[in-house]
Amino acid sequence: MEPVKALIIDDEQLARDLIRNYLHSYPDVQIIGEVENGFEGARQIAELKPDLVFLDIQMPKLNGFEMLELTENPPEIIFITAHNDFAIRAFEMNAVDYLLKPYSRERLIAAVQKAADRIRSGNIRENKIERLLQQPLTEKLERVVVKTGTKIKVIPVDRIIYLEAQDDYIMVYTDEGKHLKQGTMKYYEDHLDESKFIRVHRSYIVRIDQVVQLEPYAKDNYIMKLKNGAALKISRSGLKNLKEKFNF
Amino acid sequence: MQNPILSSRKTLYYYAGIWIIVILFHVFLLYYSGNVSPAEAISDAIITNLLFAAIGLGLWFPIFFGKSDEEKFVNTIINNIVGAIVAVSFWVGLDYFLLSSFLHGRYDYIGFLKNSIPWRTGIGFLYYEVIILVYYLMIYYRNNKENQLKEAELKALVKESELNSLKSQINPHFLFNSLNSISSLTMTQPEKAQEMIIKLSEFLRYTTSNKDEKLTTLEEEISNINRYLDIEKIRFGRRMQLKQSVEESCRHMKIPGLILQPLLENAVKYGVYESIDESVIEIICNCNSTALSVVVRNQWDPEFQLNKGEGVGLKNIRSRLRILYNRDDLFKIRKDSRTFEVNIVFPQS
Repeated sequence: MEPVKALIIDDEQLARDLIRNYLHSYPDVQIIGEVENGFEGARQIAELKPDLVFLDIQMPKLNGFEMLELTENPPEIIFITAHNDFAIRAFEMNAVDYLLKPYSRERLIAAVQKAADRIRSGNIRENKIERLLQQPLTEKLERVVVKTGTKIKVIPVDRIIYLEAQDDYIMVYTDEGKHLKQGTMKYYEDHLDESKFIRVHRSYIVRIDQVVQLEPYAKDNYIMKLKNGAALKISRSGLKNLKEKFNF
Repeated sequence: MQNPILSSRKTLYYYAGIWIIVILFHVFLLYYSGNVSPAEAISDAIITNLLFAAIGLGLWFPIFFGKSDEEKFVNTIINNIVGAIVAVSFWVGLDYFLLSSFLHGRYDYIGFLKNSIPWRTGIGFLYYEVIILVYYLMIYYRNNKENQLKEAELKALVKESELNSLKSQINPHFLFNSLNSISSLTMTQPEKAQEMIIKLSEFLRYTTSNKDEKLTTLEEEISNINRYLDIEKIRFGRRMQLKQSVEESCRHMKIPGLILQPLLENAVKYGVYESIDESVIEIICNCNSTALSVVVRNQWDPEFQLNKGEGVGLKNIRSRLRILYNRDDLFKIRKDSRTFEVNIVFPQS
């Protein structure tokens, strides 16, 4: 049987060493690489195409969840972290297992076994990105990760001017340009802070403090002017949202 | 503020009771002095004293509202003398007017009334001073009670903030990650694992045992944060770079226990945890004979910081300094797009 190809992503050398040493004499897993941050992780997953990733959550700049967001067809994931507060989110993303540091060799082997079973049974992989984007987040989004070419950009939500739906993608407009990103309007409507953002149209979510004025342009129709000069069409339900929010 | 006599039924009964006693005494005094009839004595006592009872209630207002904390003693005396003259002349005048109209035609009595005006004036001043004294005592008593309440609140606040700072001192994620590193080291470098366990133990012992001591020396604090930084250094390796400059002469200076550690934790969290490349943390201690200054500086990238507000750790330090030194200007934050710097001055008394 082919061993499972695994990649280690953790920002601490000793934590990576531990995984390696625990699995040293375990024939079912072959460690094909290790990286120390999320940017590198996203790149190596695309390049090495591992079956399994050991993933830390708290890492500099780009955390484990954000890295996964950037990954198309992500492999099986075993989260290994000192934080116990992300377990629900991890399992909602269909993670194989969630290990709390420090952990025993037996615990790691059990997790790896579970992963190997999943990989070999040839389960039709769900599109985990879909799942990630639809999971009920309890906390509000604080930043959005986008990829332009090979570059990865982390945009704090306070930099977003508005979002526009484009088929299966979202165009994110910021003060310094626009970025295309996978996702649905529903996801951003649910997960952006509603005190800062409002949905004004099937295709638009706007940051409230960017709005300059509303102008009527036909019967029952309005155009919204933004600080950056953009003019967006407001739908009837969008107008209703605005009226509810601002009581006019 | 309401008149304290009217503020409860009980004090009002006392006030009324005292005046009834005074009225009875007044009646007996007039009657046994032999010059007036019982009816005259009773009328005189009731009208005279009820009148002052009413004026006495009214005196609360000039006293309470005319009183300020910084008023000089001389001013208080002058105010009281003027108040007494006004109140007593008003009382004597009105009393004379009421009694002479109520008992008009009884010439013997009117004669007695006229003769007794100096006496009445004297008694008026006595009443006035007694009532004023009672009012002052009441105000003093209430202020005292308020102060005690405030003091108790302050004490509770200190306790709470001490608890908070303790809670924030041992970060469970730091602990678990360190234990994971130790777990890793036991397989590859057992001696280093042992060294790290000892450092971690010493660090935990210091953070858990020092809480009662108010002040310690800079030396102690520096060696504690060095234990902490050594542990983090083992975890993060080259990513964490340290620069320390501590003037020798400052080492014996006094500093609140465990105050530097949350500061360094903060620096490591925003500097090292969030950095992919090398990140420098600097500690600079300077002093003169009156004050010790500690600067902790770390590199950071504000673009990636999620929480813009001041963290719990820094807030705790700020409030501890306020409570300990009763000053607000000892704690300063300076930040730009590359570095974050906290400067604390510890006065040396």
